[in-house]
Amino acid sequence: MSALKVTGLIKHFGDVKAVDGLDLDVEKGEFFALLGPSASGKTTSFRTICGIEAPDSGSIFLDGQDMTNSPMRDRGVAMVFQTFALYPHLSIRENLEFPLLQMKLGKAEISKRVGETAELLKLSHTLDRKPGTASGGEQQRIAIGRALIRHPELLLLDEPLTNLDAKLRHDTRAEFKRIHRERGITIIYATPDELEALTLGDRIGVLKDGKMVQVGTPDELYEAPDNTYVAGMVGSPRINLIDATRKGTDANPEIAAPFGDYSGGSWMQALKDFPIGEQLIFGIRPHEIVPVENRADFQGPTFDAEVHMTEPLGDVVILDLIANQSRLKMVLPEEQATAYQVGMKMTCGFDVGSTQLFAKETGTVIR
Amino acid sequence: MSIFGKGRKKHALREAGWGYSAICGAIGLVYFSPVLWIILTSFKTRQDALATPPAFFFTPTFDNFVRVFYRLTSEGEQMATGMGLFFFNSIFIAGAGVLLAVIIGTSAAYGFSRFPLKGNDTYLFVILTTRMLPPIVVIVPIFLMFRITGLSGSYIGIILLYAMFNLAFSVWMMKSFFDELSTDVEDAARLEGANEWKVFFKICLPQLKAGIAATSVFALILTWNEFLFALLLTGNDTRTVPVAMARSMGGQLGVDWGLLAAIITLFLIPVFIVTYLLQNHLLRGVTFGTVKK
Repeated sequence: MSALKVTGLIKHFGDVKAVDGLDLDVEKGEFFALLGPSASGKTTSFRTICGIEAPDSGSIFLDGQDMTNSPMRDRGVAMVFQTFALYPHLSIRENLEFPLLQMKLGKAEISKRVGETAELLKLSHTLDRKPGTASGGEQQRIAIGRALIRHPELLLLDEPLTNLDAKLRHDTRAEFKRIHRERGITIIYATPDELEALTLGDRIGVLKDGKMVQVGTPDELYEAPDNTYVAGMVGSPRINLIDATRKGTDANPEIAAPFGDYSGGSWMQALKDFPIGEQLIFGIRPHEIVPVENRADFQGPTFDAEVHMTEPLGDVVILDLIANQSRLKMVLPEEQATAYQVGMKMTCGFDVGSTQLFAKETGTVIR
Repeated sequence: MSIFGKGRKKHALREAGWGYSAICGAIGLVYFSPVLWIILTSFKTRQDALATPPAFFFTPTFDNFVRVFYRLTSEGEQMATGMGLFFFNSIFIAGAGVLLAVIIGTSAAYGFSRFPLKGNDTYLFVILTTRMLPPIVVIVPIFLMFRITGLSGSYIGIILLYAMFNLAFSVWMMKSFFDELSTDVEDAARLEGANEWKVFFKICLPQLKAGIAATSVFALILTWNEFLFALLLTGNDTRTVPVAMARSMGGQLGVDWGLLAAIITLFLIPVFIVTYLLQNHLLRGVTFGTVKK
């Protein structure tokens, strides 16, 4: 059963379409990541789902019940704001108590829940301080605590790690996973960071201009993106997207990329429907490109390239290549990469079977 | 070595050296000197007050302070001057006027900030125009309005006038404070089940204590010293101290400087106390929003 089902959600602000026909279906107990750059409609979707904003059209079902026009407090939805939205004039304890006081719970129950939540989030020692004196990580945990303490059915996290430094981000990410596992609640997590989405989400929904572009497991999005936008969002370093054209005959299609002509990918059958000369985009993941010592031994296609730049990242190195004037990236383990210096010529190879092909005009996948 | 303190390090934020402190002290003294002059005069006899060159060393007397409240009649009897009532009037009228202005101003500012009307800025501008004219220009129609409605000489009349007089300022100042607050915090409270009353009273207002204090003090100082409206619109029983002060300046013997200085010295005390008590809030209120939180 779905914890949240959103259909055709539209929300304008003046002339700006913040959410443009959003469809979303999140299962009970799922950790769903909503991935999109800033201004793609993540925050507005959240604000509409929890009732802060009223949608222009569309419906919102929570636990199968139509809640499109219900007041916020009846929805059982908790949200952690990107800005944390702590009450600066109240102590951390009072911050945690506030939602419970609104629920008119008894004193014993309130202090029990505050104790539990503080324990869970390691806030017990700070309860009597004001949020302003807490560190960034503590403020983050207070915000999460204030959401969890209500025992919500659905928790919305709006870019919760954006305001934290790199180390804290890593730790807190693990914390989210733990909380999700221990509490078993449904979480929707909005983020512009693909790494967060890939590591946390059971499924990921990719947003663009207020529309859902593709929904799938991290593997599905990585292996089989529906379009160049998703292909570009998921995977680091970014997929190599190279201009190509349809070539060959009707029965035996080929594509012409700047550094060679290829055929035999999973896109072969579908490519037959495209006319010769059609503009295409050829996608190769940087991880799929390997250095080739001896062309005769290598099974797939190869091409010559020059090392333009190297970006060492510790255990791996990203090599920036130029192959017949088109630039692409490949990733090598550090010990293997030391053999390649800037300016060196090298031979690279890849497996056509792992490549993607997109129509240039629409950006949609050909498969 | 500079005069600005021993071993002062570059870029180090620390206590000011003796040099800076002395300069600040000197400037402070220049600003404070008129007040000091008045306070000293209030302890002088008539001869000392009029002495040329001015006497800086003299035997202090409390006679002036006694004469603020009691004067001798021609028969040599002591008689109350009514100044006690005028002090009460000043405190009561200014307090009530400011309270009213701040309450209405804060509510209006919340509305303007959070629930903007169509043409919000126009309304705000219109409110501000009430303060663009000097009081002397509007005094005649106001005087006539007060005469016709019978508000002239009553407490309620002058309190309403002062509330109106301070309203524009309160609305503008409080609106800028509300604009500084994060609306996410209010949305979070609504989401957690708080109704609009709670959002306003439990979430917004407590965050603006400093702003309310600053607005109140500024309004209070303006109202406390107001003379023109008080002169024309208060009666014998509702007269405020500035008006009474002006009246005490007459007499056959010229201005009684000692008496006047004593009234002023007493008149300073209430504002001084209020400002002193609120000074921490006042500083925060004035600098609110200038530093990123």
